[in-house]
Amino acid sequence: MRMFATIAKLLVKRVITAIPILLIVSALLFCILRILPVDPAAMSLPPNATVEEVEAMRKEMGLDRPVGEQYGIWLGKLMEGDIGRSIHFRQDVTSLIGSTLPATIELAVIAMMVATVFGLAGGLFLFYVRGTRAEAVMDFFSILLLSLPEFLWSLFLLLIFGVFFEVLPFTGRLSPGFERPVITGFLLLDSLITGNLPTFFNALEHMILPCLALGIALSPSLMRVLRSSLLDAYQDDYIQQARLRGLSEKRILIRHGLKNAILPTLSLMGVQFGFLFGGTLLVEIIYSYPGMGNLMVDAIRNADLPIIQGAGLTYCVAVLVISIVVDSLYLILNPKLRVR
Amino acid sequence: MLQHAKGRPLPLWLKSGRVQTGLVIIFILAVCAIFAPYLAPNDPNEQNLLSILTPPIWADGGDAMFPLGTDSLGRCVLSRLIFGARVALTVAFSASIGAMIIGAFFAHVAGYFGGWVDWLIGRVVEIWLSFPPVILSLILMVGLGTGLRNVVLAIVLVDWTRFCRVLRSEVIVLRRRDYVSAAQLVGFSHWRTITREILPGTLPLLITLMSLEMGVAIIVEAILSFVGMSVGSETAAWGQMIADARQNIYDAPFNLIAPIFAIFFAVFGFNILGDGLRRTLDTRLTQTERT
Repeated sequence: MRMFATIAKLLVKRVITAIPILLIVSALLFCILRILPVDPAAMSLPPNATVEEVEAMRKEMGLDRPVGEQYGIWLGKLMEGDIGRSIHFRQDVTSLIGSTLPATIELAVIAMMVATVFGLAGGLFLFYVRGTRAEAVMDFFSILLLSLPEFLWSLFLLLIFGVFFEVLPFTGRLSPGFERPVITGFLLLDSLITGNLPTFFNALEHMILPCLALGIALSPSLMRVLRSSLLDAYQDDYIQQARLRGLSEKRILIRHGLKNAILPTLSLMGVQFGFLFGGTLLVEIIYSYPGMGNLMVDAIRNADLPIIQGAGLTYCVAVLVISIVVDSLYLILNPKLRVR
Repeated sequence: MLQHAKGRPLPLWLKSGRVQTGLVIIFILAVCAIFAPYLAPNDPNEQNLLSILTPPIWADGGDAMFPLGTDSLGRCVLSRLIFGARVALTVAFSASIGAMIIGAFFAHVAGYFGGWVDWLIGRVVEIWLSFPPVILSLILMVGLGTGLRNVVLAIVLVDWTRFCRVLRSEVIVLRRRDYVSAAQLVGFSHWRTITREILPGTLPLLITLMSLEMGVAIIVEAILSFVGMSVGSETAAWGQMIADARQNIYDAPFNLIAPIFAIFFAVFGFNILGDGLRRTLDTRLTQTERT
């Protein structure tokens, strides 16, 4: 009970502090994009529009008012869930983001699982071989891995498994000819709900390479932190005491060592998963994956301000949500923080 | 290992094999960048539309004119690779110096003065971190417009927080040292205390972070030029080469491998240098950990 109360308190506190952050972020976004040398009014009209028509459009879009007032109007509409209309796609930004965000979340969540598995396994392995010659080799190897960001991993995996061996697909979310059920927008979930197994496996196949790329790129830093936290934990007396009590090494590692070492790893994961969410942008472009990253880059190429603002804000919300979730997990796992 | 010219032993940090490896890699890149016009076999922008997507010299149909083949516009891959080092290194050095100056300044101010200054700077960093770096730099590039100077500016504006966060906690530790209190008692000004007493203590960390930041800057530039938001198309950059090769992945897979390897090589150089510096300069590490 007490734990729930503390977690609830933390959640409320974090959500309240997130509001001013989002306000400032949205104001910053608005300012950065307003100094652009492009005229959204002229862009949304055909090229043969007259100067008067452009002026009228500027008035209609509210571009003739001061920037502060424009921001106020934009914010007011945002509260109603309206972040404007795309200039290029001629569609509501909310619906564009709504149709691409689930794909990106699906990608990010599975990639986080991959990163966690690789990070934990690698960290345990690094710890296991401590003090041996293998450690020096592995240590060098992990710097090598750290030098390969998700951007290069995606291209690398694409070349090996997609082009040379031709074993895995590397464009889009689904092969042509597969039925695409739409319920929640999460393709894996939807195909399971409708019992459409061929679609499920095909979608899963498409996610292997992008998720591997994101997960592998993130894992070396997790490995290194877990290893050093385990080394720290093993300096403490309770490990020695557990040995004196005759517990097996495996039990000491899992029940005593890992339980304490997982906390620093977890707090790093919060930051890293935020970065991972941003990293999906590139992976999506490389694998032509129809998520928010592709939407964002398309918008940037077309100077489609409403989408850039909306998608930028969505990325921020996602990062804040991830950090709040990880902080709550931290609290659940860390008894020291629970007692006030 | 290397011996100093006068027979004096080398400083500890230069004896590290990692630091030496990193420096050699960076030296090779710097030579490529500085002497690019003499090293490159062709003009990196010259289009040979009669010989597009030729394979490298060792493959069937390779042309001795283009040792690593040509891209979709018939431009020499090797020459573009060599000229691309210019953009990469310019961005690496100037962006990391800029980010270091801003980040270190705010870190020292926040850590030294504490109180509301620290609170304010902490909140600003928090807001910055709620943006994934890739997204923030892309949005900044939209606002600033393309060009080498703006790429550097965007990276500085995004990455100063990396320095600020890490250095601030280091400054807080150092501020409590006796010699800092002594300096304050003697009547050193705040500025003098920070630059004379605290900065020498944070310098090792600062140098290490800078070396790692150079690697990060190279990746960010490659990402930006990959999506066409970096230098203009008239300047050869590794990210652009990747974007071009991605379009022709079946016809010329090697065109993709070359720039990937170049980026990896450069980032690895800076990372291994940073790791070596961390091991040798960090006073908190014990002697055994260093070797």
